[in-house]
Amino acid sequence: MKRKLLVTLLTTAMTISMLAGCGSTASTEATTPAADTAAEETAAPAEETADAADSTASTDPVTLKVFSNLPDRKNGQGLIEQMVIDEYLAANPNVTIEVEALDEEAYKTKFKAYAMDGMPDVVSIWGQPSFLDDVLNAGVLAELNEADYADYGFVSGSLDGFKKDGKLYGLPRNTDIMAFYYNQKMFEDNGWKVPATYDELLALADDINAAGIVPVAMDGGDGWPMAIYLTDLIVKINGTHGDIVSEAIANADFANPVFKQATELFAQSAQAGLFQTGYDSQDYATAMNLFTNGQAAMFYMGSWESSMALNQDISEDIRTNIRAFTMPVVDGGKGKATDIAAWNGGGYAVSASSEVKEEAIKFLNYLYQPDKLSKYGWENGVGMSAQDQTAYMSGSETELQKQFMDILNNATSVSGTPINDCGPSVFKTVMESEIQNASNGTTSAEDFLTSIGNACK
Amino acid sequence: MKEKKTIGSAVKRTFLWVILIAVAVVQVFPLIWLLDFSLASSNEMFTTGLLIIPKKIQWGNYVKAFVDGHFLLYLKNSILINGLAVLLVIFISIMAAFACKRMKWKLAGAVKTLLLIGMMIPIHATLLPNYKIYNAIDLTDTIWALLIPYVAFSLPQGLFLMTSFLEAVPVELEEAAVVDGCGIYRIVFGIVTPLLKPSIATVAIMTFLNNWNEFIMASTYLSSPKWKTLPFSVLEFTGQYSSNYAVQFAVMSLTAAPAVIVYILLNKHITKGVAMGAVKG
Amino acid sequence: MQKLYSNKLVIFSLVLPGLLVFLFAILAPICLSVYYGFTSYSGMGQAEWIGWENYKTLLRDANFGRSLTNSLLLAIGFIFIQHPIAIIVAAVLDKLQGKAEGVFRCIYFIPNVISVAVIAYLWKFIYNPDFGLLNNALRALGYQGKINWFSNDTAIWSVLVVLIWHGFGWGMLIYYTGIKNIDPVLYEAASIDGADQVSTFLRITLPLMKPVIQVNVTMAIISALKQMETVYLLTNGGPGNSTQFAANYLYQQAFKAFRYGYGNAIGVVFIIICLLVTVFLNKIFADRQPA
Repeated sequence: MKRKLLVTLLTTAMTISMLAGCGSTASTEATTPAADTAAEETAAPAEETADAADSTASTDPVTLKVFSNLPDRKNGQGLIEQMVIDEYLAANPNVTIEVEALDEEAYKTKFKAYAMDGMPDVVSIWGQPSFLDDVLNAGVLAELNEADYADYGFVSGSLDGFKKDGKLYGLPRNTDIMAFYYNQKMFEDNGWKVPATYDELLALADDINAAGIVPVAMDGGDGWPMAIYLTDLIVKINGTHGDIVSEAIANADFANPVFKQATELFAQSAQAGLFQTGYDSQDYATAMNLFTNGQAAMFYMGSWESSMALNQDISEDIRTNIRAFTMPVVDGGKGKATDIAAWNGGGYAVSASSEVKEEAIKFLNYLYQPDKLSKYGWENGVGMSAQDQTAYMSGSETELQKQFMDILNNATSVSGTPINDCGPSVFKTVMESEIQNASNGTTSAEDFLTSIGNACK
Repeated sequence: MKEKKTIGSAVKRTFLWVILIAVAVVQVFPLIWLLDFSLASSNEMFTTGLLIIPKKIQWGNYVKAFVDGHFLLYLKNSILINGLAVLLVIFISIMAAFACKRMKWKLAGAVKTLLLIGMMIPIHATLLPNYKIYNAIDLTDTIWALLIPYVAFSLPQGLFLMTSFLEAVPVELEEAAVVDGCGIYRIVFGIVTPLLKPSIATVAIMTFLNNWNEFIMASTYLSSPKWKTLPFSVLEFTGQYSSNYAVQFAVMSLTAAPAVIVYILLNKHITKGVAMGAVKG
Repeated sequence: MQKLYSNKLVIFSLVLPGLLVFLFAILAPICLSVYYGFTSYSGMGQAEWIGWENYKTLLRDANFGRSLTNSLLLAIGFIFIQHPIAIIVAAVLDKLQGKAEGVFRCIYFIPNVISVAVIAYLWKFIYNPDFGLLNNALRALGYQGKINWFSNDTAIWSVLVVLIWHGFGWGMLIYYTGIKNIDPVLYEAASIDGADQVSTFLRITLPLMKPVIQVNVTMAIISALKQMETVYLLTNGGPGNSTQFAANYLYQQAFKAFRYGYGNAIGVVFIIICLLVTVFLNKIFADRQPA
């Protein structure tokens, strides 16, 4: 009974069209009932594996270079990626796979260096203008045949961000939702409640600070989580996100009062002590460790970190008590609690200049067989893939997974690509460094908006 | 009168010791702190104390650091690349120094100045174009991608030191060798080089210290673990073990260890080498 | 002899390796940089010639200005904080005899042989407001607040402290050697004249150390200009470019913002600045030396 309920929930969840691009506004539309296709999909992989075994039995040794943004190969998504690679190697003894993995910022830097001349065969990419526009213009990614993926169960709309002129160049790995992770036990012990409005969040932060604990651990050393925070606030203030952001970027003008309001609200929160001391210079791991070691009550990060609940490095009384809530509503804002910051971001692609392109695409397709990345990801609590995962519901999911599923299921709209990734890479670079100044009060909201506007020209 | 003076000098002496010890503590305490927490478990980091006695000594941290940090491979690479760079710098700089200092030709001064200009060029400004060049001729991810710039940017200093040391080598020895019928190459490598021994040590130490710690070029030009150097153990670990601080501390201690141990063992020679280089420089 | 020593072929063979290394690893990349500095090359695809456009942008680029100001601050910090301490410690160490002298000298130099990668990460932990060594030390002394060592205003000084700490042994050692090379006869003369230690230091040691100080000051300014590695790992120029340095900035522009052409333009200006500063410093010190 419980399983059936979950299946239904997830099926509905998947009917929400996820937006990858920035231009269009999210809407709820019906797609092919996922339950029907589920049966076909489970059949498909078996055939393909057989094919793979046939075709490789007699071939020469092949070395595939995989460049990944998941350096932690023992937890979360990196573990899943490694599991599928190991399986592929076992099924294709003639293949050797060399993985080079760097964390996100270092990855993106190195990716651009690679993009100049010759890339590894299979690479992590982001289906977002800031990253992909330049990459596709340079023609460094191989075109994929969209028809190949008809029965892979990709969520409707999730491929859009990976296309240029109707041609497909990459596949999405995740459906990402931004949220506040919180320590439920700590909340209960102190009598704190999940805030329903933004004012409540700020009041809660004061209480938590008074108890000598950090309210929200924020990875502010990298600018992007703060940019997503801004996206979250824009959604809550304006009701929609993609439309006004793409307009502002196209016109290089962020004069729309929504931006000013969101920026000021963000800066006020930061200066009122919502985040840890020195948040604007601390990195991802530092922020996360504050939370996972009980030094912070909350952690603002994406649903891809829901595998925290199963990470053995985190002490049990903390990891089993991690829950999540999305950005609370802002007073007078048009956005409802169910209008959320979510998008399809990261994924994989194949290098156009790869000397073993065929093998690389074969490996890519293997990764995306619904019973590989997507299934293992679900079973290991990593978060939601961009594919239909209903077939793998077991009822033994972590509370966090169920929560995220509910959030997605109940969503009335999604933001699409976060603001920093909607413009060219110059815009992204300027925004991610200037938002630090705006948050800590070094520059005013107006100056911040002027400078990111100038970066679009 | 005399007694007062001894009291005064005792106070003075104590004062000197206080200064010396205070500076020593500042220089070394962070390293002790590093070592201390590298033996604890990760959640013991979150203490308000300065140092802790770990509940249980976690040698496992070092095992992880040693194995997953590719310690031996990267150490071997570091030693090999730096060793080769030192040899090349010494070899090339002795030849060039001899040619510019002793040989008689019009352009000697100009060539020397040209080669010394390298000392003023900021090494990082060549990162972008060099990446392009190495890519074009397939040198990225090979040992040459590191050797070439390491040699190029240590050479000017080497040449500078070699020329100034060469001045102190008496010309008479060479003259005698010429009379005996030696060729120039014999003179350079058979007669002058052995006389330059102390300066060779200095150049070797300076070159080694310059390049041992380098990682920006290494992380730009290399991609596979094959030639990665010791700093990569640390760089890669912060991602791999992002949620385990104690292991990160262990890998930091481990990568720092070889250089520190070698330094403590050879400290007299290294100090002398650096000092000689400094006085000439 | 004369003939042997002017054999063109032999000369050529001796300087060839050095010249090749110079041409290939220094001159060629600089030429390439000059070329790309005139293009809008993003790092991929085709390079488009845009003339002086990058340099015009650079003139108005506040972050590049900030990089140079930061280098200046760093140089000032080295010269007025690190070097005075180093000279005093060197002078004090010189008074010490026997084993202790060697032990201290060894201890002071240890951070110098440790990789920047380790140093930068270590100090990231030391500076952490929630569990770092520095705030814990302050707490032990009775201060209860959390200090943010990397705020926009303090970050550059925090970087300076790390660099001073890391490079202290080197500077100290050079001064120490300089002091050791001073003829002891001069000290004897001073003590016969009845000068105390402080005035001996001021009147004899310091003036005689002038050439050493000049070398050290030159090195400090150059290394402040060329700073990249520590900052790259410690703050990566943040928060909000407040600890930006030229080398780090050009790297970011080229590989992060897809502005390879612009990055190279920064590189070219950066090289010119370094050359000018070095020549200038050599000139003023050379002028004074004979006098």
